[in-house]
Formats: sequence, structure tokens, C-alpha cells
Amino acid sequence: MRNENRPRGRRRLMASIAVLALVAGACGTNSPSAPPTSSAPSVAPSTAPGESPTASTGYSGPPASIQYAIWGDPAEIDSQKQLVASFEAANPSITVDVTVADWDSYWEKLLTGLAGGAAPDVFAMDGPLFPDYQARDVLLDLQPYIDREGYDASQLVDQAVEILKGPDGHQFGLPRDLNTIALYYNKKMFDAASLPYPDETWDWAKLVSVAKQLTVDSAGDGTPDQWGLYTETSDMENYWLSLVWQNGGDFFAADGKTTALTTPQAAGGIQFLQDLIYKEKVLAEPAIFAETGDAFEQGLAAMEVNGSWLVPTHQAAGLDFGIAPLPAGPAGRFTSVNPTGAVAYKGTKSPDASWEFIKFLASPAAQEQLMQLRASLPVSKEVLAGPYAQSFDGAKVFADSLSYAKPKPSFKGYEEYTTILQGELDENVFNAPNKTAADAVQSVATQLNDLLGS
Amino acid sequence: MTRSVPPELAAPPAATAIRRGGFGRGGPRRREGWWALLFLGPTLIGLFALSAGPILASFGIALTDWDLLSPPTFVGLDNFAALMADERFQMALRNTVFYTVVSVPIGMVLALGLALALDQRVRGIALVRTMYFLPLVTSTTAIALVWLWIYSPQGGLLNTIIGLFGIPAQKWVSNPVLAMPSIIAMSVWQGLGFNVIIFLAGLQAIPQEYYDAAAVDGAGRWARFRQVTLPLLTPTVFFTGILAFIGSFQVFDQVYVLARPGEPTKATITLVYYIYQRGFDQFKMGLAASASWVLFLIVAILTIVYFRSQRRWVHYQ
Repeated sequence: MRNENRPRGRRRLMASIAVLALVAGACGTNSPSAPPTSSAPSVAPSTAPGESPTASTGYSGPPASIQYAIWGDPAEIDSQKQLVASFEAANPSITVDVTVADWDSYWEKLLTGLAGGAAPDVFAMDGPLFPDYQARDVLLDLQPYIDREGYDASQLVDQAVEILKGPDGHQFGLPRDLNTIALYYNKKMFDAASLPYPDETWDWAKLVSVAKQLTVDSAGDGTPDQWGLYTETSDMENYWLSLVWQNGGDFFAADGKTTALTTPQAAGGIQFLQDLIYKEKVLAEPAIFAETGDAFEQGLAAMEVNGSWLVPTHQAAGLDFGIAPLPAGPAGRFTSVNPTGAVAYKGTKSPDASWEFIKFLASPAAQEQLMQLRASLPVSKEVLAGPYAQSFDGAKVFADSLSYAKPKPSFKGYEEYTTILQGELDENVFNAPNKTAADAVQSVATQLNDLLGS
Repeated sequence: MTRSVPPELAAPPAATAIRRGGFGRGGPRRREGWWALLFLGPTLIGLFALSAGPILASFGIALTDWDLLSPPTFVGLDNFAALMADERFQMALRNTVFYTVVSVPIGMVLALGLALALDQRVRGIALVRTMYFLPLVTSTTAIALVWLWIYSPQGGLLNTIIGLFGIPAQKWVSNPVLAMPSIIAMSVWQGLGFNVIIFLAGLQAIPQEYYDAAAVDGAGRWARFRQVTLPLLTPTVFFTGILAFIGSFQVFDQVYVLARPGEPTKATITLVYYIYQRGFDQFKMGLAASASWVLFLIVAILTIVYFRSQRRWVHYQ
């Protein structure tokens, strides 16, 4: 899960409220299984088959009002509302009501809404969490619509489309935006040290040697005032997943459920991150910036490995920064890609209008509008290669990175699995070097494999 | 205030007024009963619809395997067996017990000390009392954010202060040994105002005659505290004790805000945090509900034991 979406401060629900929610859910357990119109969409009544081949591009059903739920920060919300306005202008018979929540309450509300049979018609879906919802049969199967209209999903980024497929190959959502990981660098700090900017020739060794030169302890108190590198260790997406691939490892074995992190290659990738902290000492211990946040943004680190979502934040901070591909590892260059999808509730009363809106969100017009935010990459290949790549300095690096990007793992039981895995890594590998990466992964491997029943 | 534990139960003056009116046979009593029901109505409706119902439902859910989205399947006591075998649950239980055992006594002793100090008739005492009460009406999140800064390893207030004495900087919320004590310190500070107010009320309800009599008998400051104040304050201690104890078993906000994200250490996972995570993050409502019931049973049993112990140490005037 993207950490930037997890605001640290939020009024918390008490135990009693959790109990209430349990019951709010209990009252409606039967509803998700009994949606009025479900996965077999009839052709909209007003459209006779074969009436017009172009009918598929516009909504011709009865007037509909749909709810669209998203998480996000204020800038994202404004942008989504503009998209909705464009959609409503093009489809006057559909009104879209946007509801917004922060990351944590978004999922709480969604879960209780789904359990109570009162979920939004269309809602944003995090790539890794998609299987947890798809497998529980609460999402509308979009494949019949795609087949009926001959919708061409190959116009969208392949990895992002792939993540939103069910096990039967049916499409249950379309990507709305996506994020990849790259290397940010502070131009002023590089200039001050007379070092050339990072580029596509960089590998791990180069990263370490330059990061060392840029780690400066001018006060001489043993704690650097400027760090060579900053990243987040608390989620695989920010860096360590890419390191695993760059070292020739993988997350899952070929069966898709046994952990492959115990291999020397995979563990070596995670080990590299631990070494950056405790051996090379170019990356601060996570606790140092746990409260104050991004060291790069504060001008306290020369480089940062992190996601494309940080571009607007870094720009707002007034940093003079550049973007380079992730340094290659022994097995080559890899980064991770994680889409946010738009999915529809299986029990929606307006499946046709919902599909129309989901399709619109992935359309080049909507994508061009969404990319203005710079908070994510467009999912439309056309927009990605064209307008997006030229939209700001470094955008092309992100756009090109999709050629060596692998999708972040997504599977049913993701949260529980990663809580165990990441909890072990946080406590014993990243926050304190109690164990080597290999030992830590080994210590939870059985537990992880049991979870996925392999 | 000290005589009857929950202040709401004290008979309102209006009741006596009605009684004096003298209605027909059985009239006043019945009438009083109706009035009582009327006033209790909103609370009762809330209690049954919003608390009792959910509580019963959660017991049903505890016996099922339910992910919130698919229909639940009955699994009997499997969830409870799974809980007992779950290392994370045991850890949460240990952490919660540690939190309670440390924070409740410290909080009470500090509150009593403060209440004694504030039980003075000096200029500006009301302002000082208000100051101690302020954290209580502030949201835990706001408080936790301030404490995050106090605990910050990078330029945090606490590290700056101990740095003056040459003590090296500590990672207050991510070090497994320090994390829980750090959270306890914040909670105690936050809850202090409430207990101080209750203790103050208790102190002021002790009749001055007892002190006068003790003074006449030659009791010194300590003897008066030991022989008059403390025994007569035991009902208050009993009352604040039970609230603090139940509250601390349900600790959640502080942990949630201070020790996340990234969960730097497992030392701060508490029972309610465990329940929340199992239920809302991991789609395991059955397990979450059974953990709630274990929590409830622990609190209920300890509360009964505590109430039973009353006879031995609580002195009502």
C-alpha cells in the first residue's frame, strides 16, 4: 500500500465503534449476494442490437445517478471532481456524486457499505487489494461490456490491466492511474559536490559510492546533516521489491503462492537496503525521519528512491530536482508498477452508467486531464507516450520505466500476509539490524506459506 | 459525591418536591416511575439499539467465519481456539496487560498527588485546575501529534532535554523496550486531568470536622492524611480505579497514532488494535469478534473481582 496515502493523524474509532460496525455489517449480510442486476448486462433497452455501431460510445440508458467513492488528498479530489464535471457534460443523463475519505476510513466505509448492501456504484481500488474484493464476489464483472462493445483494453498499460483481472481472466475494473518508482535527486546538492547527475548508466555500486560522497556530517556529531539517500522501508513498493527483482529474485515462486523471498537472490535484494542503512550508512535509520517525514523533501537528503506520486509534493516544496531511472542491480534494471483501478459494485442499480463512467476515466481525454496533477502516470498508452512524457522534466523517465516495470504482487489475503512479512522486516531488518534479511525472511516463511495454503 | 458511586444516581431535588405533593394510593411512586422512564428513555433506547444489540450480534459473529462480504459460515468455537494459538494475539494480550498494570497505578498516584496539591484556596487555582483538565477535552490525535514531536528522534524535545545531560538520543516510539513506556507516559498525562477532578471532588467532600477532631487529638500532617484523608477517599479511589482499568484495557487511539505507520515494533500491539486489524484490514470479522469477547470476559471477570474486594478496603462514611 502506498504510504503517502496513510495519514498519520486521524481521529480514531474506539472499540465500541468497531463493535457497532460489526453489527451494522451483520444486518446486511445477505445483500451482496442478491444484487438486482448482476454480471450479465442486458443491452440497454433503448438500443436495439445492431441499430448503430457507434452506440457503444455513448450512454443511452435511462437517466442514472451514480456514486463514485475515492480516497485522496485535496488536489486529487479537485481533479477527480473536474473529471466528473467533464463526464456529466458529455453524458447529461448521468449524474455522478463523488464521496471522499482518507485512506484508512475509505476502506472501513467501503467494507461496511459492501456488507450492508449500500456500497458506492463505482469506487477506487488499490491494485494489491483488488483480489481480496474480487474473490469475495462484490465487484461487477465488466467482461460482458468489454465483449459487447469490443472495448480495446490494449490501449491501456498492460501491467495495470492485468492486475485488475479475475482468476478466470475476466476484467473486473479498468485502471484509472498508476505509479512507478524512480530515483529523485537534488540538483543543488549534486552541483555543490561537483558530481554528475544520476542517469541510466547507474548501478548499485555507483549509487553507494555517490551516496557516500553526498552523506555529510558537517557538525561532526556522528549524525549526518545531509544524507546521501532517503527512501521508505515500511512497504515493499517504495524500494525493496524492486531491489529483489534487480538482484534476480522474485516475490512468489512459480506456483504463485510459495514465497520466493528465501532465495539468496531475493534476500540479497532486501539485504542491500539494510546495508545502505547500517553498513554504508548513507540512508538514515527509519526512526530518524519517522515523525518528520520525507528527508528529501526537507532538503536533508540528496537522493530519494520513491514513487511517482511525490512529484507534486517535491515541486510544492520548491526543490530543484531531477528524476532518473532506478540504478540497475546485478540482474538488471527493474521497477514496480501499481495501478489504482476503478471498479463497480456488483449490486449497483446502474451497471450501464457505471461502466460508462469507468470507461470514461480510462479514456485519453480524462487521462490527459488527470495527468495535469502529476501525482500519477496516465494509464492510456497514447497519453503516456505523448503529452505526459513531455509534461515535465523527468516525466519521460517514468513513462519509459514501464518497459522494465513489474506489477506489485496482488493476491487474496494481502494485508495479513504483508503485516507478518513487513512486520518482521521492520522490526529486525530495517529498524534495527537484529537479523540478516535472509534470516528474517526464513523466520516467517512457514507462516507466510501456510497463509496462502501452499 | 463520595457516598454514591455514579453521580447520576443521586436523587434529584425535584423528586422530593413531587413526593411532598401527596397523590392518591400508589400515585406518587408510580408517577415517579413513569417520569424516571421518560428521562431514562433516550439512554435506554440507545443502550438497547446501539449497544446491547451489537454486543449480542458480535457474539454470534464470533462463532462464524465471516469476511464481511461473503455469507458467514458457522464454525463453533474454532475462532477461540485459533486465538489461543495465535502468537500475535498473545502478544497483544501481554502488551495490554503491561500497559494496564503500569499506567493505572502511576496515573492514580500522580492524580492523587496533584489533587492534594490543587486542593488549596489560593489565587488562580481555578486556572491551574483548568490547565490540568485541558488534555482531556483535546482529541487524542492532536495530542499524539504533539507527542510525536516530543518523542521525535530528530530534534525532538525529549532528546534535546536529555541531551543537555549528556544522555544519547533515544528512539522513543520505535525501540521495542521504550515504545510502550512512551505511550504510557502520554496516556497518563492525558488522563491525569480526569482523575484529578474526581479526586478533588472526593477531597472536598471530606468534612472539615474530621480534620479538626484529628488535629485536636494531636494528629500531624501525615497522620491526618493517613488516618482521615486516605480512608475517606477510598470510594473515590475505587471509582477512578475501575474506570481507569476498563479504559486502559481498551487502549487504542494512542497506539494507533503514535506507533504507526510502519509498525516499528510489535511491542505496542494492543488487544483493540489487534481486533481492529483482524476485522478491518484482514477481513476476519469472526476472529475479531471472538477477540472482543475475550477482552470483554477479561474485563468483566476482573471487574467482578474488583467489586468483591471493595468490602475489604473501601470505607464509606
